[in-house]
Amino acid sequence: MTVPANPPDPSPGPAPDPGPALDPDPVRRSRIAERLLPGGAEPDPRFTLANERTFLAWIRTSLALLAGGIAVEAFTSDVFLEPVRRGLSVLLLLLGMVLSAGAAVRWLRVEGSLRTNRPLPLPLIAPLLAAGCAVAAAVVIAVVVLA
Amino acid sequence: MLAWGRTMLTMVTASAIFLRWIPEHGPLVLPLFAVSAAAAAAIYFTQRVRYRRGVRGITAGQLAPDIAAVLWTASSCVVLGALGLWVVLA
Repeated sequence: MTVPANPPDPSPGPAPDPGPALDPDPVRRSRIAERLLPGGAEPDPRFTLANERTFLAWIRTSLALLAGGIAVEAFTSDVFLEPVRRGLSVLLLLLGMVLSAGAAVRWLRVEGSLRTNRPLPLPLIAPLLAAGCAVAAAVVIAVVVLA
Repeated sequence: MLAWGRTMLTMVTASAIFLRWIPEHGPLVLPLFAVSAAAAAAIYFTQRVRYRRGVRGITAGQLAPDIAAVLWTASSCVVLGALGLWVVLA
C-alpha cells in the first residue's frame, strides 16, 4: 500500500468569504424604520418578505390601473365621447394613486401587527378596488348600452 | 426578488404606454416616462443588494423591514398618478 504524497489537509481551511464590505446588515434597523415601526420585535423573516411581496402585488395592480387610465385616454377616442373618456381616465388614475398609497399604509400596519403579535388588519384597499372597478365597468356598460 | 423583478417589468411597460401619449399631449408626457423609467432602473440596480440582504436575513433568522424601498416605490406610483392627472386635465 502506498501513502499519497500529499494527503488531504484535515484542517477546515480558510473561513468563507463574508462578502463585500458594503453588504447591508439584515438586522440593523434604519432610523425611519425605528420611527414608523416602534416597539415589538423582528418577526420571522419569511413573514416580512411575504408582506413585502403582497405590497408589491398591490403596487403592480396600481400600475395596471395607471396604465389603464392612460390607455383609455389615448386609445379610445373613436369609442367614447370626450367627457366619458376623460372621466374614466381620471377615475382609473385616482384609483391607482389611492391604491398605491393604501398599499404602503397596509404594509406598515401589517408589519406593525407582526412585530407586536397582534391580529392582522383587514385589507381596506380590497373593497376600494372592487368598488372602483365596479363603477368603471358600470360607466362603460351604460355608455355602450345608451349609445 | 422575483416580485421586485415583476414590478420593475410592469414599470417599464407603463413607461412604454406613457410614451404612446406623446402624439396627443406632446412633451408633457416626458416627466411621466422619466419617473417610471427611473423607478424601474432603481429597482434593477438594487436587486443584488436586496437579494444578498434577504439571504443573510433568512440565515440569521432576523430581517429588518426595507421601509425605504416600500416608501419610495409607493411614492413614485403616487407621483405617476398625479402627473397623469395633470396631463389629462391640463
